[in-house]
Amino acid sequence: MTDPTYYDKPVIKPPVWIWSVPAYFYAGGVGGAAMVLAFAAQILAESRLREFEERCRWIGAVGGGIGTAFLIHDLGRKERFLLMLRVFRPTSPMSVGSWVLAAATPLSAGSALLTFAHGAFLRWAGQAAGIASGILGLPLATYTAVLISNTAVPVWQQSRRILPLLFGASSMAGLASILDLMKLRDHERHVSRYFGTVGRVAELVAGAVMEREVAQVPRVARSLNEGVAGALWTAAKVATASSLVISLLPNQSRGKRIAAGVLGTVGALCLRFAVFQAGRASSQDPRATFHQQRAGLNP
Amino acid sequence: MPKGFFTDTTVCIGCKACEVACKQWNQLPDDGMFFSGMSYDNSVALGADTWRHVSFVEKQSEAQFSWLMLSDVCKHCQRAGCLEACPTGAIIRTEFDTVFVQPDVCNGCGYCVVSCPFGVIDRQQEDGRAWKCTLCYDRLKDNMEPACAKACPTDSIIFGEVAELREKAKARVEQLHERGVTEAYLYGDSAESQPGTEGLNAFFLLVDKPEVYNLPPDPVAPAKKVGQSWAALAVASLGILAAAAGAVISGRKFHA
Repeated sequence: MTDPTYYDKPVIKPPVWIWSVPAYFYAGGVGGAAMVLAFAAQILAESRLREFEERCRWIGAVGGGIGTAFLIHDLGRKERFLLMLRVFRPTSPMSVGSWVLAAATPLSAGSALLTFAHGAFLRWAGQAAGIASGILGLPLATYTAVLISNTAVPVWQQSRRILPLLFGASSMAGLASILDLMKLRDHERHVSRYFGTVGRVAELVAGAVMEREVAQVPRVARSLNEGVAGALWTAAKVATASSLVISLLPNQSRGKRIAAGVLGTVGALCLRFAVFQAGRASSQDPRATFHQQRAGLNP
Repeated sequence: MPKGFFTDTTVCIGCKACEVACKQWNQLPDDGMFFSGMSYDNSVALGADTWRHVSFVEKQSEAQFSWLMLSDVCKHCQRAGCLEACPTGAIIRTEFDTVFVQPDVCNGCGYCVVSCPFGVIDRQQEDGRAWKCTLCYDRLKDNMEPACAKACPTDSIIFGEVAELREKAKARVEQLHERGVTEAYLYGDSAESQPGTEGLNAFFLLVDKPEVYNLPPDPVAPAKKVGQSWAALAVASLGILAAAAGAVISGRKFHA
């Protein structure tokens, strides 16, 4: 008995979160990335990307709005969702994130409505809202990674240094994939493709780094390599890589762009569900917790 | 004055009076009437409806069979993962230095559930909120000891001021060592012995590895190391910003 457990029962509790939480990771992430891209267009494009900027602001508002609905749907007491803004607690990434989401979503919608409105004051307000939502979009695209790293779940803890980069990259790739599905003008397509290529490449690289991070404790790595999580993880890699290749082929036709968009969306969604499912699997394995802590990798 | 429990597993007889007293006083529902097959343990783990749980570890050495028994409970950590994670402020530290979930504030977000390194707190399915041991907050307010400690017939569960409990526990370990039980040690009695939680208000005397009792060997409040994640977030944010700027500038050129 060198490797004891208590009847193989889990040490920690599995997440009680349902499908809508990883779905939010995707929707909120895409929304956050859209706010950042709109912000860059606002500051740097010299109004040559006005429609694109407005489109991104709406994607930001819709992503944040749908994401909020997903989160409320998961609550044990849905009618108390506003209590998320009862306090601000810096030690809780969920508290920080709730404030970011609650501020960024209406700001993005407001800037979409007002930036190109008539009247100098309204336009000024819209631009200010655009800057604010652009800055808040950065944590919105990434904070959910900090949120899950900040738990007792072994696989999430083990990957805490790379998860924010992985989620950020996946948010970029997810946004570019949504834009791939829309009709864009040539120079807008160029912006989206540039942004998406960086995101898709970074997502694949960060995924490989994550595999190396969790491999430090074989028992922890198991949760990402096996079962449903392993299948989703592989699917995410294949879909993202395929969308990257298709998006870089010469002679971009509408068909190719839609294929890249669908595959990229599937990849970004599979990635969030894979990471979520790996967490669930690793929380149910007492040896994942024991081995990680005995290896001195916990603190 | 910080209050807590010292649970001495060497005198636990596995009677489960603590489990019953806790259920009765706190009016908790049953755990489902089933047979787990895990020795005499049918409540299996701590949870939303089980705030004391007696575990039964069966030990078979060459000559004889024996049990290790431990009445597990919320540890009321000095650095409480659940409290630090709670986004609504529902989880508070009381005037007795214990950790308490305010049921009128909890909105059932479930973040505390994964933030507890001991797997103590859980969301009640039907009720939708998170529940755990309150260290009988209501009884403490009336100068009564918690129901489990009151019911314990062998004083395996001792309630009191944490500083006094530590003295008692140290004396007990010395006594056991003198009697030849050299494997006896304290789990979570101080910040030195368990830096990750900075010490537990409810600590234990054990005679085998923590894993045997389903206790983590080196638990850490998650927020203690989340700084590395925030740093990675900052790097990721700069990356996204740079990529967005690069994309727009390159698109601008493309347009012109």
